[in-house]
Amino acid sequence: MIGKFLETLYTKVFINIIVENLQTVVYVEVCAKKNVVQSTHKVFETTTINTKMYEFVRSFFKETPFCYISVLDKSSNQGAIPTCLTSEMDKYCDINSSEYICFSDDWAFYTSEYDLEAIKHEYRSIGVDFIFSPFTIMATFFKDKIESTLAMFVLIEDSYISFSIFENSKLLYAEHLDMQRHEDDEDMLLDTTLEDEDDIEGIDLEDMSIDDDSTGFDDFTNIEDLDSNDDMEEFSEIEEIKESVEQDIDISSSGFNEDYQRFSLIQSALNTFYKDSKYDSKFVETIYIADGAGATPELKSYLEEEMFLNVYIRKIDLGTALCELAKAEVDEI
Amino acid sequence: MRYSYIKPRPKVVFTKDLQLLFIFFGVTIFMLFSTYAFLLFKDYRFTQELQSITEEKNQLRTNISKLNEQIAVVEKQSLMSEKIFTKNSVLKDSINNLFDLVPSRITLSEAKIMQDGLILYGITPNKDIYNFMLQAPLRSIFHRTYSSFYPAENGWLRFVSTNYIDEEELGSEN
Repeated sequence: MIGKFLETLYTKVFINIIVENLQTVVYVEVCAKKNVVQSTHKVFETTTINTKMYEFVRSFFKETPFCYISVLDKSSNQGAIPTCLTSEMDKYCDINSSEYICFSDDWAFYTSEYDLEAIKHEYRSIGVDFIFSPFTIMATFFKDKIESTLAMFVLIEDSYISFSIFENSKLLYAEHLDMQRHEDDEDMLLDTTLEDEDDIEGIDLEDMSIDDDSTGFDDFTNIEDLDSNDDMEEFSEIEEIKESVEQDIDISSSGFNEDYQRFSLIQSALNTFYKDSKYDSKFVETIYIADGAGATPELKSYLEEEMFLNVYIRKIDLGTALCELAKAEVDEI
Repeated sequence: MRYSYIKPRPKVVFTKDLQLLFIFFGVTIFMLFSTYAFLLFKDYRFTQELQSITEEKNQLRTNISKLNEQIAVVEKQSLMSEKIFTKNSVLKDSINNLFDLVPSRITLSEAKIMQDGLILYGITPNKDIYNFMLQAPLRSIFHRTYSSFYPAENGWLRFVSTNYIDEEELGSEN
């Protein structure tokens, strides 16, 4: 009774940790009763906990004993399954080594127990109160759409991507992928396929047709004009422009590659859904994307042009979403 | 609905700072209340003492008034005794004087002393002795003197001498 009373007097601090590819984002929200008093974002150039991050988090411990630390699960052995029956779960995952939670008695999300322990061990210095699945974030973020449509829902994180297909709140398919690991796998796969293609097909010189037109050499007829200084200057300017364009391409190419990778992952996920007999495959026309990593518009155009999907992209702040889940959990207590 | 894979760590509301704060405030409040209780007790004792002292004071006052009354009575009695003593002395002197007045030849058998008079009963050998030796001094003292005689068995005369002092005449003389 006194404890409950004192709890109302204290502020609650929700510390949300999101580990990205090269950095960790810590989003902190200080709440007094139901009102948000203060909210801060801080980025640390580390993927594990370092001294600065430790001190930053510990500074909130002095304010109130009601500090809740939430971590987004980044385990590659996590997913969601369209059943809550333990007998059927074995079909989709190794339930013995996994921790699972039923969501609305319709479907469940799971993760590896080993990875949960690894997260707890990693943050043992500050402690962890909640570990949330990206599927939970997706389910709460697209709650309005999940209940009424058949669509694919995607959560894009900095180096992870989570897919799910819902039909009127019924989960049909779900998958969580680590993009970096998948990239390496794809590269290896690409290398082997190329080698195989070379071995199998080779180049048939007899099929090649040779054009005798020497028009290609016409461009070099005025090669003597290059001796003039004006032309040399123009040439050097063109080279500079080319170099700057190449640099721009290098900068945007990483985003471009990631979006293409995301597109290919979505495509392969849909293929798996259609082809794997495990899943009750249905034709998906719409895709809702929760963008938590800042995807470029190319992703939308890829999906629209290549797969003819209706694409809706919503920006999501993972820190805020995690914080909302933590608040909901605390209210449940 | 549960969203998290793990349950949150139990939160300790009574932190060390808070415990220290509670102890400090607890001790302070205890001291305040104990002081308040002590003062209340002292006040109660003081009120009781005040009440007993007031009662004692009232009792002493009544005693004093009683004593005063007794003193007044004693004083009155003293005055009265003095008066009586004086009166008795006067009476004694008067009686002495009276008996001094009576000659040896006359024997008194009874004397009645009154407020304003004197009645003497006695035996005289004859009237002359009475008239010259007793009646003459009595007349000088009293305003009115009446004498009556009747014979005794041995030939002497018994007499009754009634003497009065008139208050009016005494006043006019003063």
